[in-house]
Amino acid sequence: MTAAVEFHAVSRHFGTVKAVDGVDLTIAEGSFFAMLGPSGSGKTTCLRLISGFEKPTGGQIRIFGEDVSNTPPHLRNVNTVFQDYALFPHMNVRDNVAYGLMVKGMGRAERYRKAEEMLALVKLDSYGDRKPAQLSGGQRQRVALARALVNEPRVLLLDEPLGALDLKLREAMQDELKALQKRLGLTFVFVTHDQHEALSMADSLAVFNEGRIAQIGTPQDIYDRPATRFVADFVGSSNVLPPEMTRALGGPAEWASLRPEATRLAASGPISGQVTALRYLGSGTRVVLDANGTEIAALVPAGQTVPAEGDMTAIAFEPGALHLMKGA
Amino acid sequence: MKTMKLMASTALSALIGAAPLMAQVTEIGAPEGQVNIVAWPGYIERGETMKEFDWVTKFEAASGCKVNVKTANTSDEMVALMNEGGFDLVTASGDASLRLVAGDRVQPINIDLIPSWSTVDDRLKDAPWHTVDGVHYGVPYMWGPNVLMYNTEVFKEPPTSWNVVFEEQTLPDGKSNKGRVQAYDGPIHVADAAQYLMFHKPELGIKSPYELNEDQYKAALDLLRQQRELTSRYWHDAFIQMDDFKNEGVVASGSWPFQVNLLKSEGLPIASVIPQEGATGWADTTMMHVDAANPNCAYLWMEHTLSSNLQSDLAVWFGANPSVPAACTDGRGMATAETCTANGLDDFDKIRFWTTPVSNCSQGEGACVPYYRWVSDYIGVIGGR
Amino acid sequence: MTSRATLPSRGLADQLTGLFWRRPGLLLLLLITPPLLWLGVVYLGSLAALLLQSFYSIDEFSGVVKEEFTLKTYGELFRAQNLDIILRTVLMAATVTLACAVLAFPIAYFAARYARGPWKAAFYLGVMLPLWSSYLVKVYAWKLILAKEGIVTWAAEGTGTGFLIDGLLSIPGLEGASLSTSPFGTFLVFVYIWLPYMILPMQAALERVPNSMLEASADLGATQSQTFWTVILPLALPGVIAGSIFTFSLTLGDYIIPQIVGDSARFIGLAVYQLQGTAGNTPLAAAFAVVPILIMLVYLTLAKRAGAFDAL
Repeated sequence: MTAAVEFHAVSRHFGTVKAVDGVDLTIAEGSFFAMLGPSGSGKTTCLRLISGFEKPTGGQIRIFGEDVSNTPPHLRNVNTVFQDYALFPHMNVRDNVAYGLMVKGMGRAERYRKAEEMLALVKLDSYGDRKPAQLSGGQRQRVALARALVNEPRVLLLDEPLGALDLKLREAMQDELKALQKRLGLTFVFVTHDQHEALSMADSLAVFNEGRIAQIGTPQDIYDRPATRFVADFVGSSNVLPPEMTRALGGPAEWASLRPEATRLAASGPISGQVTALRYLGSGTRVVLDANGTEIAALVPAGQTVPAEGDMTAIAFEPGALHLMKGA
Repeated sequence: MKTMKLMASTALSALIGAAPLMAQVTEIGAPEGQVNIVAWPGYIERGETMKEFDWVTKFEAASGCKVNVKTANTSDEMVALMNEGGFDLVTASGDASLRLVAGDRVQPINIDLIPSWSTVDDRLKDAPWHTVDGVHYGVPYMWGPNVLMYNTEVFKEPPTSWNVVFEEQTLPDGKSNKGRVQAYDGPIHVADAAQYLMFHKPELGIKSPYELNEDQYKAALDLLRQQRELTSRYWHDAFIQMDDFKNEGVVASGSWPFQVNLLKSEGLPIASVIPQEGATGWADTTMMHVDAANPNCAYLWMEHTLSSNLQSDLAVWFGANPSVPAACTDGRGMATAETCTANGLDDFDKIRFWTTPVSNCSQGEGACVPYYRWVSDYIGVIGGR
Repeated sequence: MTSRATLPSRGLADQLTGLFWRRPGLLLLLLITPPLLWLGVVYLGSLAALLLQSFYSIDEFSGVVKEEFTLKTYGELFRAQNLDIILRTVLMAATVTLACAVLAFPIAYFAARYARGPWKAAFYLGVMLPLWSSYLVKVYAWKLILAKEGIVTWAAEGTGTGFLIDGLLSIPGLEGASLSTSPFGTFLVFVYIWLPYMILPMQAALERVPNSMLEASADLGATQSQTFWTVILPLALPGVIAGSIFTFSLTLGDYIIPQIVGDSARFIGLAVYQLQGTAGNTPLAAAFAVVPILIMLVYLTLAKRAGAFDAL
């Protein structure tokens, strides 16, 4: 399989600010790739490096093997769905979608036909005559998608496309996007700060921190085996154990992660403490206890007995569940 | 000639006959404390422009009447201001004065209340631009010629004819006059063209440049169209004209002694002449508004204009001639006999004073082209039509 | 201590606030009545008086206005020399507006998209500075700059480019002895004087065009010129129109510049000034003054039809 996008030691420095710093990255063709990280971690800059709105200050970017260092955005066969959608307010939906075809010189009848096809694909068949201001957020998002896809790009870039939508709509759109990507077989590169979104949609993802990639892998890799304490913290819900505790549990003096699902409550166990919080999740209850100053969470499946707040309890787990990682 | 004048004044009296004759002021009462005057720029000086030119301060002290001046740049503006009202006096030129009389904007003057009336130049006492049917509508103020101002570096000898501003020609410095001459930006300039034709095309039969029949008028407009080709800009603001002589390469234009004197005083190579065709000129009259709120101060001011240093010093300041000939010689101000000669006191007969053209003229009822057509046609000529 | 559900009123301010909360329309009424009165009485009133005047006529000899309804004055507008004035003015206003738009766009674009911090301040200062000095001083300065013996001619002669000015001044319609006495000089001064009024609204409009629009356009394959014509210009159009309303109407009404720079040919503003001030022909002046109002109405209608306000 060819690589759709390759980064070789790519940097983008703004003066002393290292927005992207020595990133190596390979995105496989036809994959759904997510870039995850907090704001300012460099993920959006990486996306803009692919689209051409930023130029690298070091390293090389290849798209389908072609060095794009000197290719301006409008000549890259890559399209973007912008975070604010960036629909042209003075054009109706049809003209927005047909825009890319128009600037390439396609005749009116043909580009309108293609635009209508694309609108049908995103289920907005009858909306061609409306202005963007007359659409809801979700509808605008689909128009932006159609406007990008009509150009038949080899890579589709999505910059936090679901960020502005409410929860229910976001979940529906996640499924739709995923289905669309499967159907078209296109490479999607997706920027998000929402770890659930990244984990649930991507085939593989990169976690960014301070301009560098902290970890790259499949969602399972990232979730089960976070490479660093940062990844474990950011991906969340996993227990992060300091070196002393790891050693007390019989491991080396290193940071480790312990997934709450891999634990169970026991009368006695290696970790014990007082219950400080309970959170009912439907499928189970998350029990948080204070173990000598470290917060540890355990997941109690539905139907089992849940201790009360203030009770003393202990946690047991399989030895293999403890995952060692780097401190940084 | 006499019958013509009679006809003209009859026509005028017919025009104003419908209006009731205003009662004259019979005696001067207590001064009201102020007098409001519409005047040409530079006409009423209180020593603020130059210290030695002041003919207001003493009057204010002696009479207790504060003098308020509103300046106007053209006769049309003066008529407009008087129509608006709120003024007591106006220094009206001959192309405004009869319009003011006809429009009932001014009142007859009781000359018995003006002791110095007897000193007024006899040639002005009954001048037709302020006397209608023997009734005086004002007191003569100042008069002067519209001279030909020229640059002495270009003209080593004074030009002898107005043709330098009317006909394309090579000037003594070897260059064409095209773009180097100016003309006055007021419809009354049609009269200058007519006067030029009077001399050069006697077959047109022009008797007065202010009384033109259709053919004569058309010939004058054609001459002005020819002048448009030579003129890059028309002047109506004295100071812009002076600037154009300094920076715009203008070397000849009809002008007033006022500009000539000022440019000379700055040391520029400027002089003026009244060429062989003669000149038009202005004779201004102090006239009193029909609804003047301050008649007593107004009468005191009119007497003051004749009796004080005003006539003499204004003659020097403005390059004009006093209406009181004695002011040239009796040492009441700065003027001397030489000043008055230089300003054209002896050229009175060469000068055809501005009067308002009317359709009923000496050539017959409705025979002449009236002033309003001068206004609109001159706008057309300047616009290149 | 028992706390109450409502707090005690502290006086008039609380009562008034309460009143306005219960009756929001009252506050609005109080706020807009004075400006509405001003607009209604002073502005619309004077406009109505003007309109009324234009239906009067003038006694040609005495200059006294006859207060009888007539269309004669409007008929006079159609005299050849008056039509000349109107056409000359409209042509001048249109070319001045076009030139201002072309000159202002790059400046406004730079200010809106690139200038930051001190550059932005320098931009505002540079654009506004000419507005702080007296209008008359600027026009007189230009008269001197463009004069036959002024700096432009001097520089042209010194660099051997005098033939350019001579060539310009021999173009029919632009003839003059120097730039200062040519209609082209009038045009230059108009463009200089009104340019800030074009730059500022344009800059405001361009600033409201999000950067992502331009990126989206490039992303979709548009060249920069395609982006300009299909995205930037349509989105900035309300600003361009606002600016052009300024430059167009200001040129239509100005009477100082053509008096000082140019070939003395009349413009509407000058005609109005001279007709009402100098000639006392208020009715014709009023009729002339109605012309720009009509022209602006036509202009705005056309602009609306062309979709200039769609992006508002």
